[in-house]
Amino acid sequence: MLTRPPSWQRLSELARNPLQAFALSRNNVELWANLLIITFAVVFMLWKGATFAVTLGTVFAIWAMLSVSLNLVVGFTGLLSIGHIGFFGVGAYTVAILTSTTAYENLRTGAIPTFGWPFFAALPVAAIAAGLVALLVGIAFNRFRDDIYVLVSFGFAIISFNVFLNLRGITRGAFGIHDVARPQIGSWVFDTELELMLMAMALMVIVVGISWFIVSSSFGRVLTAIREDEQVAEVFGYHASHYKLAVWVISAMMAGVAGGMFSSWTTFIDPNSFILLESVLLVSIVILGGLATIWGSLLGALAFVLLEEGMRFLPFLPQEYVGQARQVVLGILLVLLMVFRPQGLVGRYKL
Amino acid sequence: MISYFSSADRLVAAILVIAVVAYIGWRVLTSPEQALQFGFNGLSVGAIYALMAIGFTLVYSTVWFFDLYYGAAAALGAYGVFYLRSQEWLGGIYQVNTPVVNIIFAVVVAGVAAWVLHTTLYGRLQQRVPPPVLRTLGGILALVVGAYAGAVLMFPSDLHILFGPMAAIAAAIALFFLARFTYSSMLGRRGYKILTFVAASAALALALFLGNALVSSPGSKLYLSWVVSCLLAGSVGLALYRGLYVRMRQRSRSPLIMLVASLGILLALSASISIVFESAPRPLPDPFGSVPWTLGGANIKGFNLFAIAAAFVGFVALLITLKWTPFGRAVRAIGDDEEVARVVGINTTVIVAIVFFVGTAFAAMAGILNGHDTAIQPRMGLLLLLKGWIASVVGGIGNLYGALLGGFLLGVIEQFAIWDLAGEWKDVVAFVLLILFLSFWPQGLLPRK
Repeated sequence: MLTRPPSWQRLSELARNPLQAFALSRNNVELWANLLIITFAVVFMLWKGATFAVTLGTVFAIWAMLSVSLNLVVGFTGLLSIGHIGFFGVGAYTVAILTSTTAYENLRTGAIPTFGWPFFAALPVAAIAAGLVALLVGIAFNRFRDDIYVLVSFGFAIISFNVFLNLRGITRGAFGIHDVARPQIGSWVFDTELELMLMAMALMVIVVGISWFIVSSSFGRVLTAIREDEQVAEVFGYHASHYKLAVWVISAMMAGVAGGMFSSWTTFIDPNSFILLESVLLVSIVILGGLATIWGSLLGALAFVLLEEGMRFLPFLPQEYVGQARQVVLGILLVLLMVFRPQGLVGRYKL
Repeated sequence: MISYFSSADRLVAAILVIAVVAYIGWRVLTSPEQALQFGFNGLSVGAIYALMAIGFTLVYSTVWFFDLYYGAAAALGAYGVFYLRSQEWLGGIYQVNTPVVNIIFAVVVAGVAAWVLHTTLYGRLQQRVPPPVLRTLGGILALVVGAYAGAVLMFPSDLHILFGPMAAIAAAIALFFLARFTYSSMLGRRGYKILTFVAASAALALALFLGNALVSSPGSKLYLSWVVSCLLAGSVGLALYRGLYVRMRQRSRSPLIMLVASLGILLALSASISIVFESAPRPLPDPFGSVPWTLGGANIKGFNLFAIAAAFVGFVALLITLKWTPFGRAVRAIGDDEEVARVVGINTTVIVAIVFFVGTAFAAMAGILNGHDTAIQPRMGLLLLLKGWIASVVGGIGNLYGALLGGFLLGVIEQFAIWDLAGEWKDVVAFVLLILFLSFWPQGLLPRK
C-alpha cells in the first residue's frame, strides 16, 4: 500500500481555503516526514550537482530494493528477520562468481574455474540461488516466531557471513572477487555511473512493482491476516506456513537481485560488505521508514543514504568517523521512534 | 504446525544427541590428552558464555523481553578496563582518556545515585525533614557521587588510592550484612546485639585491613578497574531501564518493540565505542602471568581457571540470592506475574532496576574475561550476546541452572567441533547447534518450571 494521496474533494477544499493547510498539517507526522526528507533530498541534489546525485541514486536504488523486499517479510507478514543481508550476499556472490574472469590460485584448493557469463544471464541465476537458499532456510525457520525468530535470523546472518569468508574454494575468502562484469547488451556496456544508476533504478521499479502487486493482491491480504492472527488465518483454510514460505522466498529473490546489481556496480566484493551490522542497519531502515508500507521503505532508504552523505559535510566531524556517527544517529532515532511512534514514520503496523 | 512435528522431533533430537555424544566419546578415546586440552579450552570459553547467559537469563526471566543492551554492556565492561589501564600499561600509545567520556559517565552515575537516594531515603525522611531541603541535600549528594566517579575515571593511575578505600568499605558492609543475615536467620533474636557488635567490629577491621592493602599495592589497580567497569556498565543498564524501558512499558509496547529499541541502543553504543577507541582490536593486560601449567598433557592457564571459578561463584551467589533472600523472592514473583507482584506490594520498578544492574554487571564481567582471554573490539559485544542467548536457549530459557549448563556445553561443543573443522567455523557450529536445538528440543535441557 502506498500512502493514499489526498482526495480531489480535500484538494479543492484546500484550494478554496489555503489556511486550512496549517490545521491539517499539525501533528501529521507522515506529512512532515515526507516533506522533510524529500525537500532535503532535492536541496542536496541541487547543491552537490549531477555526478554526485547519480552515485547517490545507485546507492539509494540498491538500499531501496533491499528495504522494500524486507518490508514484505517484516511489515506485511510480521516476521522480524535480521538475516536479510545473507540473501543479498548470495545474490552478489552468484553474479560475481559467474561473471568474473580473474584467475585465482588457492593454495589449498587449486585454481578456481571462472565462467565469464554476461551479467544479464547471471542476474536471474542470482535471484534463483537466493530463492533456493531462502527455501531451505525458510523451511527450517518456519516454526519459529517472535523473539526466537530474531535470534535464528541473527544466526542466519552470521552463518552466511562465515560461509562467504571461509568457503575459500568458492568465494575466494577475504581476498574478494575482482572484475565483476558490468551489464552489457550486445556491444553496449553500461559502464558510466548514469547508465548504472538507470539500470539500478529500473530494477528497483520492477521490485517495487512486484511488491506492490503482491501487497494489493489477495495473497497480500492473506499475509496481513497471518500477521494479525496466524491461527485465525489457519481456521479460514489458509496454510500459514506455505504463505510465509512463499513471501520469504520472493523477498529473498528480490534481495538477490539487489545483490547482483551491487556486485556489478562496485565490480569488487568481499565478505565485509555482508556483515551482520549491515543487516541491522537494513532492519532499522525498514522500521524507521514504516512497517507495512512500500512508500515508507523507499523513504527510509532515502533518509538513510542522505544521512550518510549529509553527515560527510558536517564541519566538526572527522571523515573517518562518518560511518560510526551515522550508526549512532540511527540507533538514537530507532530508540526515539520505538518510544514515541513504534510504527515508523509512515507505517501502518506496530510490531 | 508446532504439534505436527513433535512426535518425530523427539526421535531426531535423540539421534542428534547420540551422534554428538558418540563423536565426542570417539575423540576422547582416540587421543585422550588432546581431548583433555580441548575439553579444558571448552570449559574456559564456556565459563564466559555461562556468565553471559546467567545475567541474560536473570533479566529475561524477570521482564520477559530480550534486552540487546547486554552485548553493548559486555563491550563496555571490556573497554572500561582498557580505558582505565591502557595508558599506564601500554605507555601512552593510545591516548583514550578524554573529558567528554568522563563527564558522560559522571552524569550517568550522578543520575543513578540520585535515583537510589530518592527511592531509599526520600519516602522515609519526608515526614521529618521539609522536602525542599531534602531535595537540595539529595541533589548535592548525587552531584558529589557523580564528581567522584568522574575523578576516578579522570585519574586512572591513582585508581588504588581513589577507589581502593571505597571498595574496601563496600566489601566490609556487604560482608557485615551477609553475616547479620546468616546469624539472624539461624538464631533469631537470641544474642542479637552481641553478635551484631562482633560482626560490626570484624567488618571495621576488615575494611581497615583491606583498604590499607589496596592503597599500598599499585598492582591491585587492574582488579579495581574490573570492579569499576562492572559498576559503570551496571549503572548504564540501570539508567537505561529507569529512563527508557519503564516509559516504554508504561506505554505497553510489545516485547518485539522493546527488542528493536534495545537494538538501537546496541547500535549506537557500539558505534560510540568505535568512535572513542577506533575499531581495530586492542589487547588487555595479562592478569595472572601467561606461563601455563601442565596437567595430564593439557596446558592450563591460571586465568582460564579463574574464569571458570568466576562463573561458578557468580552462579552460586545469584542462586543463593534468588532462593533465600526477600529480594530474590520478589524477583521470582515479578517473573511469575508482574501485575500480581505489584498488587501484593512489591515495588516492581526498584526490584527490576536492581535486576538490570546485576545482570548488566554479569555481562560486563563476561566481556572483561573474554577481553583478557583474546582481545577486545567494538563488535565483540553482539557476538558475545548471541552466544549467551544461545547458551540460555540450549539450557532452557529462564532457568539459571540451564544457563550455566548451556554455557559450558556450548563452549565444549564449539571446541570439539573445531577440532576437525578449522577454527573459523566455530560461530557457524554454535548457530547450527542453536537452530537444530530450537527445531527439535525447543524447551531446552532444563526447562523452567
